[in-house]
Amino acid sequence: MGEAKKKDGVEIVGFACSFCTFKASEMAGSLRMKYPEGVKLVQVPCSSRVDPAFVIKAIFEGADGVFVAGCHPGDCHFIKGNYYTRRKIAALKEMFDAFSMKEKLRLFWVSAAEARRFVEKVTDMHNELKERKNEREKA
Amino acid sequence: MKGRKLKKGDIESALNEFLKGDQHLVLGFEKGENGVSPKIFKGSLDHYSLLNPVFGANAALYLRRLFSKGCQVMLMLRPCEIRAYVELQKLTQIEREDIIAVSIDCPGTISSKDKKGDVPTEADQLTDYFKSSDSMRWACSVCGERRGVVGDAGVRIDRNGNFWVIPYTEKGETLLARMEGESEEVPAEMLIGESKKADKFQVDMETFDKDFEKCTMCMNCRDMCPVCYCIDCVFHGDEYIPKGDALINKILRSGSTKMPQGKELFHLIRMYHVSQTCVGCGACEEACPQGIPLTKYFKGISERLQGMFAYMSGRSFDEAIPYLTFLEDELKDAED
Ligand code: SF4
Ligand code: SF4
Ligand code: SF4
Repeated sequence: MGEAKKKDGVEIVGFACSFCTFKASEMAGSLRMKYPEGVKLVQVPCSSRVDPAFVIKAIFEGADGVFVAGCHPGDCHFIKGNYYTRRKIAALKEMFDAFSMKEKLRLFWVSAAEARRFVEKVTDMHNELKERKNEREKA
Repeated sequence: MKGRKLKKGDIESALNEFLKGDQHLVLGFEKGENGVSPKIFKGSLDHYSLLNPVFGANAALYLRRLFSKGCQVMLMLRPCEIRAYVELQKLTQIEREDIIAVSIDCPGTISSKDKKGDVPTEADQLTDYFKSSDSMRWACSVCGERRGVVGDAGVRIDRNGNFWVIPYTEKGETLLARMEGESEEVPAEMLIGESKKADKFQVDMETFDKDFEKCTMCMNCRDMCPVCYCIDCVFHGDEYIPKGDALINKILRSGSTKMPQGKELFHLIRMYHVSQTCVGCGACEEACPQGIPLTKYFKGISERLQGMFAYMSGRSFDEAIPYLTFLEDELKDAED
């Protein structure tokens, strides 16, 4: 990758299923709930659309973290998409763990009704990455 | 388990008998003046070698996109090559109907880059050779399956140096059908036993950067990997590794960039894409002109990721590739 750009905040790329997590994020917006500015969502038609290559690309092109979010297991709009997501992303997390960077990737299940859960999940991830970043900068 | 104990020449004559069939071929090894190399035999064998102590490429590579029904190809290959064939067959890149896959006990190999005339080709001498020399490829020294226990049949070597043919499927029986003699109980202990389990692979990106410093991104490693089969690889085009205008535009947006760029992208994405199908053969490393320790990474990651699903690439025709299936009740702690 190129020389990392200087950034103030933490940037998180989130791949969000358009049937659930993305809707939850919209609801959070209309309820005027706040979540960190650095969280950038990419809408996908199903969480299983996310090729782990997208995640790896986001990380090495500068994101501090990535999350993949879809409907709760059993609730997939396409019946079983998120079961595949679960296998693929669990394996990707194992790979990130092998490269000692497991904090960079998270998997969430957030339904369309769970605006609060969405905000909590992304804020928590953001705060942890920010803390790590501050520690690194101090060191 | 039952098998057939072989006399000298049994395999050759069975294969020659097989080669008399219309459109019948044997993919195996030929002993030449400068060592052993893979060869596809038509008509009859000549200078046939059962073992190949030199590793240049994984021969399953040559079988991709073999769909024509009607021919019969007998594979007489190393376990890692048969395992790669099995994976390709599951990925519908090879028509199983055409193939009889026989895995042969493998005492290990040297790199084709150190190809020497003096490497023995007999099993017992080869085992001694590797005891007294450290020229075995790293991939072989940590190989997860050196036994001919995969595919339709296996050729195994017992502790007294006798060879055995053991059928695992109906197709495997066709090789046996061309041999004389009776089947008998196979000895429990063989010359080559089960491999030790490798340690859990663990690195960090600093080590990766050091190890891949000399990588020129020629992508030979991808091209020679038997299970990296996509015709339209994601690294064609400009989305992942931009070139020309796309590259210049990207650098104008993001700032000075060391070239070649995208090493982490290329290798980590490939590592993930082959994670369930990698057989740890080290063909990638063999193909690398820069001596990058690829096997350590690809085999290390794939063993960890296959381990999550109790999967081993190429071990069986019936086990589904983990990313292509699921259980409803599993991985409860995957969510954060
Ligand atoms: S990787 Fe294993 S099966 Fe393949 S050549 Fe080496 S020892 Fe033989
Ligand atoms: S073959 Fe070697 S130099 Fe070429 S891309 Fe692969 S690791 Fe890099
Ligand atoms: S990634 Fe390397 S070790 Fe794995 S199957 Fe491909 S060539 Fe063999």
